[in-house]
Amino acid sequence: MRFAKVFVALAATTMMLIGCASQKEPAEKAVAQIESSVAEFRADAEKYASDELKNVDASITKLKNSLADKDYSMVVKAAPALASTISSLKQTVATKKADAEALMAAATAEWGEVSAQVPQMVEAIQSRVDTLGKSRRLPANLDKATFETVKTDFESLKTEWTEATAQFASGEADAAVRKAREVKNKGDLILSKLGMTPAA
Amino acid sequence: MATENPYAQYHVVKKGDTLSKIAEEYYGDKMLYPKIFEANKDVLQDPNKIKPGQKLRIP
Repeated sequence: MRFAKVFVALAATTMMLIGCASQKEPAEKAVAQIESSVAEFRADAEKYASDELKNVDASITKLKNSLADKDYSMVVKAAPALASTISSLKQTVATKKADAEALMAAATAEWGEVSAQVPQMVEAIQSRVDTLGKSRRLPANLDKATFETVKTDFESLKTEWTEATAQFASGEADAAVRKAREVKNKGDLILSKLGMTPAA
Repeated sequence: MATENPYAQYHVVKKGDTLSKIAEEYYGDKMLYPKIFEANKDVLQDPNKIKPGQKLRIP
């Protein structure tokens, strides 16, 4: 009877060890595959979905700890769900990247137009402000106070334009275009105050 | 050839206009007429000779 109990215990332990050992390879393979799949888009994920990536990294660390603890069954059990989360994250990152690229392309195209218009606008206003500055009297449609406001607004326009071009040069196309639109609106207002109707 | 500045202002010469009168209209000071003459040297040879219908750039 005693022999039978010992035999059963030994058999159970052996079966458990065999079962454990048989899951070692799939567990290691699963962790390697998961790490490799994240590595494929890690750089983009850091840029477009950093919070979600942090969650995935935490889950990978947990999985690797289980592997180190030889809890292979746990690894094999948890790996498919994590792989599915990673696949979903990969899709999210791809969508966000495509959206960002489309936005950048639109901003770059708009910048192309505005960056041609604003310097011409600045040139026309500068010429008129310089000439009016030499005038002994102002034209009938412009009083002294308005002209002083125009000069102040024009100086801030030039500063903002310099900022916008610096933003564009540093890759902030969207912010640069937003500022450029403000600059252009300010320029239109100055042209109107100076009575400078655009060429027909 | 330089492209035309779309923000430049133009004045179409009317009968009785002189560069001085145009300068007074746009700058408030008739003595600034040489500015307009200089900007339109491609079409004007003499500041005293402008013709109705001429399109002058007002810098």
